[in-house]
Amino acid sequence: MIDVLGFLITLTTYIGIYLVLSLTLTLEVSSGITNFGKVAFYGLGAYTGALIGTYLPLAITGSRASPFDVNGIQLLYTISKSNPVLDLSVFLLSLAAGFAVSALFGLLLTYPIHRVGSALVGFTLLSTGEVLRLFYLNTEPLGESKGFMGIPNPFAWLPQARGAEALYLIIVWCFVGLTYFIVSRIMNSPLGRILKGMRDDELVALYAGWPTPLIKSKVLALTSGLTGVAGVLWAYYFTSINPNMFTPSLTFNIWAMVILGGIDSIVGGVLGTVLLASVDYAARFVIPFIGTTLVTPDYLRWIIVGLVMLVVLLKKPEGLAPRRGGVSKL
Amino acid sequence: MITQDLISFFLFSLLYLTVTIPLVLAYRVTKVINFTVANYITYGAYTAVLLDYYMRSSFGHNSLLLTVLSSFAVTGLIAVLSNLAVFKPLAEMRVKGDVLMIASMGLWIVLKYVLYIVSDIASSAWRTNLVSYSQIHYDDISLLTVRAGLVGVQQSLVVFPLLALASMLILYLVLNATRVGRAVLAVADNSVLASLSGIAVGRVVSLTWFLTAGLTSLAGVMWTTYSGAITPEVGDSLILQVFTIAFIGGLSSLTRTAAGALLISGVENFGTDLLSTYLGLPTSIKPMLTFTVLLATLIVSPPLGVAGGVPYRFTRGARR
Amino acid sequence: MGVKLIVEKVTKRFGGVVALNRVSINVPSSLVVGLIGPNGSGKTTLFNVVTGYYTPDEGRVLIEGSGRVVDITGWNPNRISRLGVARTFQIPRLIPSLTVLENMLLFYDYGSCASITCSLRRKWVDVEEAAVARAMSILREFGLESIAHKRPAELSAGHLKLVETLRGLMSDAKLFMLDEPFAGVESWMARKLTDTIRKINREKGSTFVVIEHRITELLEGVDYVYVLHNGSLLAEGKPDEAVSDERVIKAYLGK
Repeated sequence: MIDVLGFLITLTTYIGIYLVLSLTLTLEVSSGITNFGKVAFYGLGAYTGALIGTYLPLAITGSRASPFDVNGIQLLYTISKSNPVLDLSVFLLSLAAGFAVSALFGLLLTYPIHRVGSALVGFTLLSTGEVLRLFYLNTEPLGESKGFMGIPNPFAWLPQARGAEALYLIIVWCFVGLTYFIVSRIMNSPLGRILKGMRDDELVALYAGWPTPLIKSKVLALTSGLTGVAGVLWAYYFTSINPNMFTPSLTFNIWAMVILGGIDSIVGGVLGTVLLASVDYAARFVIPFIGTTLVTPDYLRWIIVGLVMLVVLLKKPEGLAPRRGGVSKL
Repeated sequence: MITQDLISFFLFSLLYLTVTIPLVLAYRVTKVINFTVANYITYGAYTAVLLDYYMRSSFGHNSLLLTVLSSFAVTGLIAVLSNLAVFKPLAEMRVKGDVLMIASMGLWIVLKYVLYIVSDIASSAWRTNLVSYSQIHYDDISLLTVRAGLVGVQQSLVVFPLLALASMLILYLVLNATRVGRAVLAVADNSVLASLSGIAVGRVVSLTWFLTAGLTSLAGVMWTTYSGAITPEVGDSLILQVFTIAFIGGLSSLTRTAAGALLISGVENFGTDLLSTYLGLPTSIKPMLTFTVLLATLIVSPPLGVAGGVPYRFTRGARR
Repeated sequence: MGVKLIVEKVTKRFGGVVALNRVSINVPSSLVVGLIGPNGSGKTTLFNVVTGYYTPDEGRVLIEGSGRVVDITGWNPNRISRLGVARTFQIPRLIPSLTVLENMLLFYDYGSCASITCSLRRKWVDVEEAAVARAMSILREFGLESIAHKRPAELSAGHLKLVETLRGLMSDAKLFMLDEPFAGVESWMARKLTDTIRKINREKGSTFVVIEHRITELLEGVDYVYVLHNGSLLAEGKPDEAVSDERVIKAYLGK
């Protein structure tokens, strides 16, 4: 008997986290920031969340156990089961810290990337993500290749596991709503028009009187912060993270979603994300049942992601749901 | 320790030069920030791997010359096809450079996993592990080293300089001594002017794809004589260094690019060693050093021209 | 009211090439001044220096308006623009994905309403209404309301130049710097452009500096002319004087 409800809850949580990533990417792309390093900010958020979620409860309860051995993980689980206040406040603190750390990181990165064109911005952010991943992979207090395994579920204290899942889903989707609100409000405002101008011809935007470097910094800080929160949400949802989750492929997955729906169209981005994330998740769900095959299904999945990008760019550059009308909705 | 550092500095400098010089030339002609160079390296290495397995099992020996020719042909062909299928149509749609770059990302993923599938299939057909292949020995090189009296010298010490030199020589001869090469240079300088003066830009661009990708694949062949475990991740693992070097050269200056190759190779080999000896830092900080160089380049001497941003900020810095 | 532009002994070099060599010009308030010279004489470089695209190697750029002198040497383009300096480009640069109206709105000073917080709270509606009204009234005044909702790709070269000039009115420019406004424009449109320049100059008292490399095109309606040649100031004076200057004739006709 397949657990349909469980499947749906997991799927929608998964889609929700991806939506935050693709919505923020849509805003970045429409401001001319070619962010090939989504995963850098996402991973940073996830690791910040995991760091707080594991070390802090252990420290508060005065335990000397390491969050990486069986005792520590067991202890973390017991704490989350028995102490709702601590469990929830650690989660909330992680959300705030994930936002702050990622936003600050984005802000700092704008200093070097202001000087260069979008190609270099893309490459610099891409390498940032890779360097961070290698950092996690080689840092002992971050669990090296094993990563964190005992991140407490914020609703572990609820008697019913299904209830905890549903509550978490609601939290994820509230945050999706918030992100949607922020992105659409900005894109449909005079600021959105300035961002679009900046993307098409930064010099003209400068001559129009707009301090484009400053505006870019603010946008990247905001979107990075939101991406960081998505990372925290992922860490607490999955309760374990490792460096392998944060490879550049994840970034390209999100780019494929945004391109499929239509670059700089919010609705398109949402559509593309729901489509690709569903396929992606269904594939993850189905693949284990296929067993060993000659051609690893995972490779095929990636080839499809790449082909989607290419075919859409070549045959339908405006995407499935192109943006309509002007920037301002008066 | 120092000898070891010197050797790897030497080898990696040559490896980086072999990748970045064609990359810069390709950018100047095609105007694509092309991340598929990672694939070119990998495909070069894997043509060598597949050929090696086939040659060893069928004839018992393997030749570098044959490997180089096949890698060059396979990779060059892939580049020409990707230009025809992706970059040329996009350029005709007059998209911005960003879109070309994003497309190259898409192509990168496709090519990468196609290779994974190919090596998986070959592995199971030949009942061997091609996804992590051991170092390759080329018999014609062994013969050469024995003749020269260099018994017991690692093949990489011969193959790296040999192929790097060959690559530079081919590039130099083609560009300076042939008509088509001069056409390539003309397009690199100013494609509009070149097409006005009767050069068939389309054909020159195709040739550039073939030539530069083919030359890049030599780096993959070089790698097969150095690495103890050849995997389909070879190219990807070099991309940070390669593009950092290319950006140090501003994607235009060959001298600056060459200097960048030496710099990155030096920082990686001596820098990592120094830091681990004197500060006790782990050698895993290697990529972080490269990344620091990248950031420092962007801050201190951001690339001018096409790879640059809004120019006014540079002209300010360029005051001399 | 217009502003006065003072360029003091400005030098700009690119590598070994001296693009501007100790050029000084003095544009009095509310005049229409021509900047002429053959191709490569440094006209556009001078514009780029004045508007902040380049920083001069030597010399100063000053703007004088309402009794205040501001040294704008080394300022960023956005600050110079906010001071009331508008420029156009040889090849018109409008934002391709925005309509004419939106291109005009881009140049309106939204002040704090362009911030992220203001966008989130949607506090910009009143300002936007004012901006749209302003843009439409400018377009209407110059007979362009029919193209308000078109995108730049659908417009003729003349219309592009016109819109590029008019967007300066959105930012309350007091000094207009027009780079070859008549290049590639049909003659009836060129006349319309001249009329537009004159009208803005008369009604708002704005100062104009106009680049033109063809010497005869501009003469009518220009109060004063500077002639650049090889990066140096060759001659200046009333249009007819400047044109009859021996050195100018020599520069244009070759030896």
